[in-house]
Amino acid sequence: MLLNQFLLLGAVLFCTGVYGVLARRNAVLVLMSIELILNAVNINLLAFGAMHGEAAAVASQVFALFVITVAAAEVGVGLAIVLLIYRNRTSVDLDQVDLMRG
Amino acid sequence: MSELLRAYLTVVVFLAAAGMLVGVSLGMGRLLRPKRPSAQKAMTYESGVDPVGSIFGQSQVRYYIFALLFVMFDVEAVFIFPWALGLEVYGVFGLVEMTIFIVILALGLLYAWRKGVLRWV
Amino acid sequence: MDVLSGPVAGVFRAPDVDYHAFAPELVLVAVLVAVLVVDLVLEGRGRRLVGGLAGIGLLAAMVPVLTLAVDGANRSMVGGAYVVDDFALVFKGLFLIAGYVTMLLSSDYLADDDYYEGEYYFLLLSSVLGMMVMASSRDLISIFVALELLSIPAYMLAGWRKRDLKGNEATLKYYLLGVFATGVMLYGMSLIFGITGETVLTEIGSKLQGPGASLPLVSLGIVFVIVGFAFKISAVPFHSWAPDTYEGAPTPITAFLSVASKAGGFVALMQLVFIGFLGRDDVWQPMFWVLAALTMTVGNLIALRQTNIVRMLAYSSVAQAGYMLLPFAVAGDLAKGPGAAMGPMTTYLLIYAAMNLGAFALVLAVARKTRSGEIASYGGLFEYAPGLTVLMSIFVFALAGIPPLGGWYGKLVVFKTLLDANTPWAIVLGVIAAVNSVIALYYYASVAREMWMRPVPDGDTTPVRVPAGLTAALSLCAVATVVIGVYPQVVARFGDLAVFSLLP
Repeated sequence: MLLNQFLLLGAVLFCTGVYGVLARRNAVLVLMSIELILNAVNINLLAFGAMHGEAAAVASQVFALFVITVAAAEVGVGLAIVLLIYRNRTSVDLDQVDLMRG
Repeated sequence: MSELLRAYLTVVVFLAAAGMLVGVSLGMGRLLRPKRPSAQKAMTYESGVDPVGSIFGQSQVRYYIFALLFVMFDVEAVFIFPWALGLEVYGVFGLVEMTIFIVILALGLLYAWRKGVLRWV
Repeated sequence: MDVLSGPVAGVFRAPDVDYHAFAPELVLVAVLVAVLVVDLVLEGRGRRLVGGLAGIGLLAAMVPVLTLAVDGANRSMVGGAYVVDDFALVFKGLFLIAGYVTMLLSSDYLADDDYYEGEYYFLLLSSVLGMMVMASSRDLISIFVALELLSIPAYMLAGWRKRDLKGNEATLKYYLLGVFATGVMLYGMSLIFGITGETVLTEIGSKLQGPGASLPLVSLGIVFVIVGFAFKISAVPFHSWAPDTYEGAPTPITAFLSVASKAGGFVALMQLVFIGFLGRDDVWQPMFWVLAALTMTVGNLIALRQTNIVRMLAYSSVAQAGYMLLPFAVAGDLAKGPGAAMGPMTTYLLIYAAMNLGAFALVLAVARKTRSGEIASYGGLFEYAPGLTVLMSIFVFALAGIPPLGGWYGKLVVFKTLLDANTPWAIVLGVIAAVNSVIALYYYASVAREMWMRPVPDGDTTPVRVPAGLTAALSLCAVATVVIGVYPQVVARFGDLAVFSLLP
């Protein structure tokens, strides 16, 4: 069945993204991993939407559009934060951002 | 021949024509032009700027702000397209809603302009 | 139908917009635009004007909230995706007041700093707007948009001190974990949408009670959504950002995050769980049990060994979130139905807002003189600032839950819910909560001991000058805390309102 393949793709993308967020130490790569998660969500939404008929398809597409636009705003802020960190410490290695502990 | 293959035949014909067009025009150029090579001419073309430094050099931070502005407005346009396709259907209601949306977007542009982001120093 | 192919000609009918129901949000949007434009035109010369405008805007948005409350009708719009009922109005009121108190805290704090920018107020108002929308959202899409609208400005506010490394760290941690949590939550939403084919919560609720609701995919979706919001309300083990962000962010923003942002997360959780996932309490009830027990215990134990007052309050607010989660953990076993768990949660949230905002306001006031966040710097506060000492004692003992101050009533209603459920699991949880209250009393009381009994660390006993805005915020919170404690029917009424209007 075709739906399964889309869901599998979504699940693989999601897991890759989660792995990237947890394992990567470069802030920019973490941001890219988060994008992967959001794309997994979009694939899921559109695949499910197509399965449930017209009304659900429209809802899923609207949902996906909102995810895309909001993700753009989110990543804009994220890159700005990474730039800020880079300016103040000339590194975007997340392991070095550890002034506060405990 | 099946319908599918016939459709692909068109693509093949197009590919062949495109290849021929490039081959013929470049071949004609090679035959006709004078040959005077120099170091300047062999340099990589980089929009008229001399390519200096490593290819992994950092770019200006200003590019980031421009790119961000572009991405934001580009992505927000996605809400305008469905409305534009059904302009008559949505009527006055749609027009008013979209005007509000675009005015708020334009406020973002106004903000960027007042903060001097649009000026390339 | 493909969205991009355009709608079928002639079938579109403009939705009826109930402007009265949207009025609070519309007022806030108008003020938001005005704040941005005025600041751009004056280019930072009109600090007082911009701040005043934003404050008036928050109060003006309160007017339609009150008229809607007097009117009392439940208004459902956009096919049930946006509902204005008593539940929404109670929380809209809370968000507006919390936003206004944050403004009061901010005005002098910003003036002392060299980081003033007009965008501060703009972002604060945007975040409040997101919370207002959240209170009415009964649809996966609008919950997502509201969550982002309240979070994205908050990320920027947390890193307001751009040249401060701690501020950078605060915003980076908050942002990365927040966005990651949003991604996980969205994935869960996509699964739930996939099973039900609906985005409106009431529809999801009815589908999840029917056949097909027991699919493992549904459980996975519910777990992901709850994990996403557990980050927002800083429940253990998803709390790691909270103390660092609270310490690095400007203190008024810390107060705002610990109260309003957390309440926003709880509002979303209540709507999702009690409308959308009502039929699947076998999934969410054990999960909330574990979350609540961990959150209380870990929060309180780590708070014990903090030496910085802001970090201590941060862990204390983590622990308080644990108490607020208690009714969730037993909701399915209540005789009056799961919805009966909402009243205690709302009551606790309202009380918590008053006392926590007050505690942070006091930290701000004291830091104006001591320039320090160490608990040791509170030594001998009574000698030179008796008024502040009394107020701080009120807030910390209220947080600890000592009668007759506000906090005890919150704890009472939460424990009463546990007793009503009367299952072995509920009793165990009650015991854990009771032990935690005792642990919490220790570190709250140690602040009081520092203030009343210890000598002044550096011998400097010049009085603390508290600006008018801060005084107003402090008095507001103190009066609320004491009045609620003595006359708890006030908030109990709000709690009841929040329950009955939401349930179908």
